[in-house]
Amino acid sequence: MKTSAVVSDSIGPNLSTMGEEKAAALDCIQRAQAGDVDAFELLYREHAGRIYALCLRLKGGDSTDATELMQDVFIRAWRRLSTFRGESAFSSWLHRLTVNTMLENARGDQRRIARVLPMDDTSRLAGAARSSGIDLKMDMEDAIASLPKGARLAFVLHDVEGYQHQEIAEQLSVSVGTVKAQLHRARRLLRERLER
Amino acid sequence: MTHEVIRHLLDDYVTGELTEDARAPVADHIAACAICAAEVESLNRIIARAAELPKSIDPPAEAWANIRAAVERDKEAIARQDTGATLRFRRGPYALAAAAALLVVLSSAGTAVYMNARSADAGTPIASNPANAATPASLAAFTVEENTYLRNVAVLQDLLDQQESLLAPETVAQLKASLRTIDEAILEARTALARDPANKMLIEMLSGTYRQKMDLMRRTAELTRGT
Repeated sequence: MKTSAVVSDSIGPNLSTMGEEKAAALDCIQRAQAGDVDAFELLYREHAGRIYALCLRLKGGDSTDATELMQDVFIRAWRRLSTFRGESAFSSWLHRLTVNTMLENARGDQRRIARVLPMDDTSRLAGAARSSGIDLKMDMEDAIASLPKGARLAFVLHDVEGYQHQEIAEQLSVSVGTVKAQLHRARRLLRERLER
Repeated sequence: MTHEVIRHLLDDYVTGELTEDARAPVADHIAACAICAAEVESLNRIIARAAELPKSIDPPAEAWANIRAAVERDKEAIARQDTGATLRFRRGPYALAAAAALLVVLSSAGTAVYMNARSADAGTPIASNPANAATPASLAAFTVEENTYLRNVAVLQDLLDQQESLLAPETVAQLKASLRTIDEAILEARTALARDPANKMLIEMLSGTYRQKMDLMRRTAELTRGT
């Protein structure tokens, strides 16, 4: 059984039971909530890599779109910090905000979704994979980037990020059956493209 | 269960999402079916490769500078509002309509300033109309664009300050009054956007107001070329 990416990770008032790392993270969040931009930069430095990787995959490997989306996410995160209550991990909150921001932006500009992916758009993803020492991943990133949008969303959120069907369905406002169907489609297409 | 039914359950089988009751017959079938066994192997390979992908990729270095600039402007806008800065509008259901109406008025006012002065300077070329530029599609795109607007406005303001003595006093007065009105609209929209960042209407309004300001300043600066 997959483990949910949205772990119930209470950042509550019981500081004595927290590790130092968690307490430092909470302190950073609270300072940022109070308007401390330097504290917010620390949060950015800690989470930007994961959010950017998610943005790149959601955007089919287009580094320009991914950078724009990531900036949008962190600007919105700053403006909505007061709504973060600690019911979930901050990273999970940011992940949800990323998916929601992408969906909101996509609704406002459908033309960008339909845009043909340039050949070199996955270069950054492929480069990151190569630097991790696993050459096969370059093909995997290219194949994910080539998936239809719905299938790509389902695959990235479920198989790469670890969300459960129900969580994805709620975020995308579709049924669990639709998520499963898109996931099945994504895996089938990936198998065709990677193993033919 | 038939082969076709079981094939539709293989995704859930490999990710452990079948109930025990459903899992047993699927496992029995896979043990006897080479096609399904191969499909399970293939699915496992895809899922394993997805899990091996790097979870973190360094973003472009300049991204934080853009984010920080937007954050600092938000803080400034909210601080100004909280300290009772001169706001023409109050947040509420009428703010958007009032600001939208203001854009129309500003367009007319800018044209009036331009046409009044231009009557004495028929040879001055008209600047391209930046109001026709595309509105940025997202908050991030707007943030980058806003940085450009602010730099251009600063350059134009320096130019106008140097050339103020070349303009008729009534033109200068009308320009300053119009710019004050525009700045109030910008502050109002900026503050509203800080509180409602997903509001595309506000992004469009703010973007349009910046373009109006640049257009007015650019046209006024061009008037002095022929004097």
